[in-house]
Parts: sequence; structure tokens; C-alpha cells
Amino acid sequence: MKIVVCIKQVPETNDVTIDPVTHNLDRRGLAGVMNPFDKNAVEQALQLKDTDSDAEVVLLSMGPDDYAESLREGMAMGADAGVLLSDRAFAGADTLATGYVIAQAIKQIGDVDLVLFGRQAVDADTGQVGPIVAEFLHQPQITYAASLRLSGANEVTAERLLEDTKQTLVATLPAVVSVRSELNTPRYPTPRNIQLSFAKPLTIWHHDDLDLDDSRLGQAGSPTIVTKVYAPEPVKRELTPLTGTPTEAASQLIKALKTRQLI
Amino acid sequence: MSSTTAAAEKLLLQMVDDYTAREIAPEDMPMDAAGDFPAGFMQKLTDTGFLGLMLPQEFGGAGFGPEVTATALNHIARGNASTAVTLEGHFKTIDQILKFGTPALQQQLLPSANDRIFAFSMTEASGGSNPMGISSTATREGDHWVITGDKIMITNGGLAQVYCVLVKTAPQELSVFVVDQDMPGFSFGKREDFIGLRGTPVGEIVMDHIVVDDDHLLGKLGDGGMIGDSAHDDARILMGAVLTGIMEHDLKIATDYAKERKAGDKPLTELQVTHRKVADIAMRKETTKLLYQRAAQLKAAGQPYSEEAAMAKAHGSRSAVSAGDDTLQILAGYGYSREYPVEHLIRDARAMEIAEGTVEKMRSAIATAEFSK
Repeated sequence: MKIVVCIKQVPETNDVTIDPVTHNLDRRGLAGVMNPFDKNAVEQALQLKDTDSDAEVVLLSMGPDDYAESLREGMAMGADAGVLLSDRAFAGADTLATGYVIAQAIKQIGDVDLVLFGRQAVDADTGQVGPIVAEFLHQPQITYAASLRLSGANEVTAERLLEDTKQTLVATLPAVVSVRSELNTPRYPTPRNIQLSFAKPLTIWHHDDLDLDDSRLGQAGSPTIVTKVYAPEPVKRELTPLTGTPTEAASQLIKALKTRQLI
Repeated sequence: MSSTTAAAEKLLLQMVDDYTAREIAPEDMPMDAAGDFPAGFMQKLTDTGFLGLMLPQEFGGAGFGPEVTATALNHIARGNASTAVTLEGHFKTIDQILKFGTPALQQQLLPSANDRIFAFSMTEASGGSNPMGISSTATREGDHWVITGDKIMITNGGLAQVYCVLVKTAPQELSVFVVDQDMPGFSFGKREDFIGLRGTPVGEIVMDHIVVDDDHLLGKLGDGGMIGDSAHDDARILMGAVLTGIMEHDLKIATDYAKERKAGDKPLTELQVTHRKVADIAMRKETTKLLYQRAAQLKAAGQPYSEEAAMAKAHGSRSAVSAGDDTLQILAGYGYSREYPVEHLIRDARAMEIAEGTVEKMRSAIATAEFSK
């Protein structure tokens, strides 16, 4: 079984700025860590590998060269290999353009049975790339999985946890699943596995290493246009204290509500 | 340093920080109150591979070097000095087996150091800083050695399963043997009830005619004093790191409090008296850090580091007690309360003015080294 886990490196801090031209998050120069939700996806893949010694777990990420640090961390957790998609041509991609490149890379890795994503990235919070990749791959998808197991030779069963609903879904493989943090507690990379991870293969694929339609890449290939990013102004409300006895205060309240035609 | 080594060390410290924040620091206050670590705590630390952090990869460890090993203990001590000292005791003992053990002894013992805690024991009721005052002996009987004696105040005593023990093999000859808790004649004695580092077990072992072969001798007969000094040197670097971590903890408590607390209508951060205390804590912390890192660099480079290691511990331990005192004064009544960690940081730091050689002994060692130049 071959499992690809898509991971993203996100800024370690919440103190990010917005690029004044593109209105996208400006991640330049910020120390990065693996997106916390993606660690749940890595852990799920490793648990499947724990029960199937033939299983192979490949981590996949897209971003600048320093995103290799998160791939290495996932390999220290136990993944077998890492692939980083890094090229200036991919920069500025929205979720659609990102999903396209990742899907093309998954096709190139080949014979992938299961693609796992974290629920969403904590920097942009869209949760869109997993479903987009599933569409590009023409594969079934399950999002927000709070449990996941192989339920047959060629299928997975997941419990999908929504705000007030639980669904049990079965998908035939190959499939794409995005997982919630309730799924598991990610393991720590041990000091020894950190050292050994540097002997595992980490491949960087550039633009020319993939079969790509250039019109779908980067900012030019991104239909999303961010026109403005802003923090909402706090609403200032006038406070009118209610005075006197409780009865008098209640009368004042009823009068105020009637004046505003609320009752 | 290669880029791979630097990347691995960065990842290690990232993991150490994460693990410390989630698993170790939350147990700091409960461990101090209980005088022990909670059930499952040490097993989880073991399962996460901490015991093999500096053990060479050929023995199943991670093989990290002296500098990052010390830095890792520095970071752990920011959240819990007791746990860092437990690892310090284990690592210094592994170091001696690596330096002085035969290849056969290393192969026999060291793979288990990933799962079992090791300890180095010198002190007895009749001698601590004076090794010649000890009473434990190893006597030759046929092809074997028979070890008898009583060792006290052992860091990790009662927790560790493997012990390097300093004994007399002749009236004026000190040697070190390795014994295992599973050997006939081995038993545990009293556990100390110390005022600080209360999450680090410190206890006694009793050796009643333990029989070992020649291969359990560390180094040569008569090397005991030298091996003991070496163990102290390695421990003192790591204690400098632990003390730095304690002072970083003090500094965070002091600055966080000063930013929020007002005296009259002025924040503490605007008072010169606070400036002086915070600056002093920061300078003590930074000088101790530089000293332990310097000693670790020398060790990694294969150069003498005994004097620098003594400086790291002597300067660091007094500095950490003073830093804790200044932090307590900034927090005033809250600092004096057991509800907050400041008072126990002072008790933790105070232990290291005694353990691994008293500060007085450190100063003698430093002065002797200076006279010999």
C-alpha cells in the first residue's frame, strides 16, 4: 500500500503580515513548522504502516526549499520519503493552482492508494486543497474524518465528524481523505529517528520535473483574487445603565426596547 | 558543522521544546509537591528515546554530540529541572563507559542504556568530596571480584538499574566497577528526602558480596579517582546547562510579572529597582550559558574542559540561587508562596552548589588549574 500525506509548512507565529500588492499572507522570513493538523494525517498514515510492514508513506509538500524542514520532521516521525515541489513558477498559487500541481505530483509518484490531508492549514484556514486534489485525481473523497480504517482489501471506512452530525462513509481506493485532530495524538520524532531521517530520500521536483499545463500555475493560474484583507473594526455601543429598584430598572428596559421597536 | 548535523540538531531541539511544553513542564509543580515523578512519566520519556540521546548510533542511540546534548538539557530545565538532572546522571554515566569501558563491556551494557537508566555512585557516609574516605571494597577471590559496601546520595539511586561504583581495590587504590540491580547481593536502601530537585530520585544502594568478573572493571585498577573526576567534569557541563534553564525560567516569570504588575500607578517595568534585578538575572543566565557551551565545545573538540566545566557549575549554581532570590523579590508575596514555582526553583538551584562537587571544591579546582599555568 502506498500512502501520500500532503503537508504544509506554516508560520510558527500568528504575527503574520499581508503583502500590500497581492493581499496574500506574507510568509517570507518567518520560521516555519509543520501545520499541526497535518501531523494527524502523518500519524494516521504511520498507524496504517504499523499494521502493514509493506506500506510506504511518502510526504508531499509544495513551497520554498526551507519547507524541507517539515518534510524531514515527518520522516523523523516515521515516513519513508519526502517530495518537495519547489519552483518560482508555483509561487502565489491559490488553492486551485496548488491542488493542480499536487495532483500532478501524486500522478507522477504513481500507484498511490490513499492520499491524506490535515483538516486545513492554520495559516489560511481554507481546507480546500484536499477536495480539489480529489477532483483533479477523479477519486472519491472523505473530509473531516475523525476515524479511519481499512475495511476491506480495497476500501476505507471513515467516521466524518461535522458540527452536529456524524456520518460513516465508505470509499473505494484510491481515495483522498482529510482528517480531524480528534483522529489521533501524533507521535514525537525520537532523537534516533531524527538522525536516521537524514538517510531517507528527500526529492525536490521543479517545474520541468512534472507534466504541467503552465496556464494553471502560480498567481496567473489562480482565479482567486484577494481584493482586501482587513480586521473588522470593533463596534462601539452606547451603554445606558438601568438604575433604581429592580422594578424601576425593568420598566426602563421595557421602555427602551419599545422605543427601539424591538418589542 | 555540516548542514545535515545542524538541521538534525534544530529538529531535535524543536522536538525537545515541544515535548517539554506538553509532557514535562506540566509535571514540574506536581513532582515538587509529591517528591516523585508520576506513574508512566519515565516510561514515556524512555519510549520517546530521550535515554539514548547522546548514546552512539552503533549502540542504538541517536548519537548527538556534547554541545546539543547540553543544550537539550538546558531547554528541558526551562520547564522541569528535576527531569533534566535525571538525564544528566544517566548521560554522565554512559560517558564514562564510553571512555573507559572495554569494547566487550560497551557491547554488553550500552544497548540497554536506551531503555534502562544508568547511575554513577561515589559518595558514602564516610566520604563525599574526599574519595579516599570511602569504605566500599572490591576484593579478589579466585577469578572474580567481590564487592561490598554502601553507596548513598546517588542521583537516580533507586531508579537506575545499572551503577558504576567507586570502590577500594587496595588501601590507597580506587577503582570503578559496573554492577547491575539484578546481581545477587544488590539491594536498594534509603531514599533521600531532599528540599530541591524533588522529582529526581536520590538514594542508596547496598552491595553485599556482589560477584563480578574482570570485564566489569572500568578502566584499569587504580583509575577510580581519574574516572570519578571525569564523571564530575561531564556532569558539571550538563549542570551548567540545567542551571541556565532554571534561570531562563526565573527570567520569564520575573518579566511576565513585571509587565503586568503595578506599584502604585507605575508598572514594575518602569522601576529602576526592577531593572537592576532583571538585568542581573539576565547577565547571570547568559554568563552561565556561555560557560557551559564553552566547556561543551572543548569536549566536542577533544580538548581539556575540566576547568571550564567547574566554572559553569560553580558560577551557574550561585547565579541561579541569586536569580531565584531576585525573582522572588520581584514577585514579593507571590514569590514566597508555594502556589508559584519561584521558591522551588531556588531549592532546585541550591542542590547544584553541592552535587557533583561542592562550589568550594570547584573553586579549588579552578584555582589549582590557574596556578599550574
